[in-house]
Amino acid sequence: MGDLAFLPNWPPLANQMIWVGVLLVAGVAGGELVQRVLRLPRITGYAAAGLALGPDGWGLIGRPLLEELVVFVDIAIGLVLFELGTRLDLAWLRRSPGLALMGVAESLGAAALVFVTLHWHFGHEPLVAAVAAAIAMSTSPAVLIRVAADLRAQGQVTERALILTAINGVIAFLALTVLIPWLHLEYRGGWLTILTQPLYLLAGSLVLATAAAQATLKLVQLVGKHAERQFIVVIGLVVLTVGAAVALKLSVLLTLLAMGAMVHNADRERHFMVVDSGNAGQLFYLLLFVITGARLDLGLVATAGAAGLAFVLVRFAGKALGVLAVAPFIGLNLRHAGLVALALTPMSGLAVVMVYETATLYPEVRASVAPVVLAAVVILELFGPVATQFAIRQAGEAGAGR
Amino acid sequence: MTLEFKSSEPLTLGVELELQLVNTRDYNLTRGASDLLAAVAKRKHPGDIKPEITESMIEISTSVCSSPEQVRAELDAMRAVLVEGAAKLNLGVAGGGTHPFQQWTERRIYDTPRFRHVSELYGYLAKQFTVFGQHVHIGVRSGDEAVRLTHALARYVPHFIALSASSPFAGGADTQFDSSRLNVVNAFPLAGFMPYVADWDEFEHYFGEMRAFGIVESMKDFYWDIRPKPEYGTIEIRVFDTPLTVARSAELAAYAQALAAAVRDDRSWSPHPSQYLVYSYNRFQACRFGFGATIVDPFTREHRLLADEIVAALSRVAPHAERLGGGEAVGRLLSAAAARANDAKVLREVLEKRGSLPDVVRAACAAWHGS
Repeated sequence: MGDLAFLPNWPPLANQMIWVGVLLVAGVAGGELVQRVLRLPRITGYAAAGLALGPDGWGLIGRPLLEELVVFVDIAIGLVLFELGTRLDLAWLRRSPGLALMGVAESLGAAALVFVTLHWHFGHEPLVAAVAAAIAMSTSPAVLIRVAADLRAQGQVTERALILTAINGVIAFLALTVLIPWLHLEYRGGWLTILTQPLYLLAGSLVLATAAAQATLKLVQLVGKHAERQFIVVIGLVVLTVGAAVALKLSVLLTLLAMGAMVHNADRERHFMVVDSGNAGQLFYLLLFVITGARLDLGLVATAGAAGLAFVLVRFAGKALGVLAVAPFIGLNLRHAGLVALALTPMSGLAVVMVYETATLYPEVRASVAPVVLAAVVILELFGPVATQFAIRQAGEAGAGR
Repeated sequence: MTLEFKSSEPLTLGVELELQLVNTRDYNLTRGASDLLAAVAKRKHPGDIKPEITESMIEISTSVCSSPEQVRAELDAMRAVLVEGAAKLNLGVAGGGTHPFQQWTERRIYDTPRFRHVSELYGYLAKQFTVFGQHVHIGVRSGDEAVRLTHALARYVPHFIALSASSPFAGGADTQFDSSRLNVVNAFPLAGFMPYVADWDEFEHYFGEMRAFGIVESMKDFYWDIRPKPEYGTIEIRVFDTPLTVARSAELAAYAQALAAAVRDDRSWSPHPSQYLVYSYNRFQACRFGFGATIVDPFTREHRLLADEIVAALSRVAPHAERLGGGEAVGRLLSAAAARANDAKVLREVLEKRGSLPDVVRAACAAWHGS
């Protein structure tokens, strides 16, 4: 017996590395399968693979492991937000202010309808309904960026949907930042918090973002015009900044988005090359979607499915109203405006993070409105990418070949 | 069948420019023609703005102009309209004979029957043909005059190439050519020069033969450097790369017009077939080396520096240009030739200074937008 101790136990004990690998491989395979057989976006396949392996599927990947993998989600979301920030092209918004107005209109449209529905129809308290409404404003940047890249989309519907996603992200984070202290007041009391917490979050996040953006631009100049090396600089600084934001209890979302926006808009000499989510970037997107998929709670569809579906529908209606109302002023025809609104449908990992960020601070949110938002995420995890892909294809902006 | 040559006012000018549409993020070519055309559809401007074979290209053309100044004014007006429309769509419009780093596999063909036919016939050449040229039309009275002028201007083709060259980069690399665009044009079966015909009757005979062979259907099927355009009553010079600025476009038109005027006045000159013995060699030299090319004179067999030839020719036609309202324009070309400064040089300097090809395209946009 002792002589054969070099042999593994039987059955061998699976370590975590194996499961992470299984998750990745299943994600890639799921993505290809879904794309080739069903002609659906790959990321829908990534999420489906994650869901299948996760606790609500075959259960191969347990909750403890998922908790450990959250670090990848944080890095991936950091990268996505940074890339989204670089798309917040202020020069374009100055030239076409109607576009900024459209972003505000569709955000407020979605928030208003979601608030009214959750508060009056489903009877949630105003404050938690407002939190859900704030989350409803944001579109999943990861889905939009990835679907557009996969389709090699070029054109005005795609470009406008992307910048609107950047705008509604900013508005959603600002709204949450302002709402969180009110939750604090409601459940814990203390006016000092109401006044100082948003100030700390906003000012602190912006200061950190400025420092991170300056560091990025400096380092990028150091490595020169090499896209791959610049990408490594970005990964390094994004991870560092996410860590710093967490340590300082600042808003990771706001900080990273602002960092990306500053890198793009402060870089007058264009030292920074575009972060094209190339090979390494795609890995993070894959991880983001499989892990988000694995964390989906299907049980919510049973308990909060009706409210979740209502959330999805009124959110879309609100966004469509906002986009259509402003479209004539920026020379966007009705058909294209409808397609832009449709492209803005996805909600994904980012919404989950926003829910958890508030729910950790205020468990009241977890009990009341979180299930509704998460049920909506379950629905949109599958249908959101499909809607975006459909919109881009209908606009004739998808490239030939995949 | 006969090709009817429509007579037009001699020495009138028309200019067409093929322009690049790029995004302002990484400055690659982008799908933007239909969006941009829709955005400028209601704006008033002289001339015409229309789609081209791919969604990453648009073409602008002036009306029939009497002077280089009018060409310049019309191009400027169209440029203003396009720049305003492009700004709202976050697009960049640029000159330059090639896009420095685009991959031809990424191009999409604009959906019209003619373009689809071209795409089916030529395969990948149609997509590789995403190159950007300037065409200059010069009015002539008759087909005979058109043939004579086509032959006369053929010897100035190297001049046109060196002065307009703006395509040093292609596929992400420096091609070592000042105009790499013409290498793409050369791949087409009916590229090059018009065969040696003495007059319009002979040309019609030639065209009839080519039609009878089933090789061509219309004049559009000839991709010659200079070709008669019977339905407009012009000859069309097609060797120019689209310059980085509309100012240079108008200057090139002024030079072509002044040369045509000189040919009209010089009744002693007549075409000779041996000029075509050296044509392709001289053309290659100009594409490859720009002003530094060595040009062979088919009659004296002398080798001369192209820059010197151009300076001499510009000085020679300057009085004609003066009379036609292109004096200043030709003067500016003269200083450019003396300094051996063409757009290819400008683009190479940007790369040297800024370090990446997206920077080059960004500079090209700034030049064309006029900021």
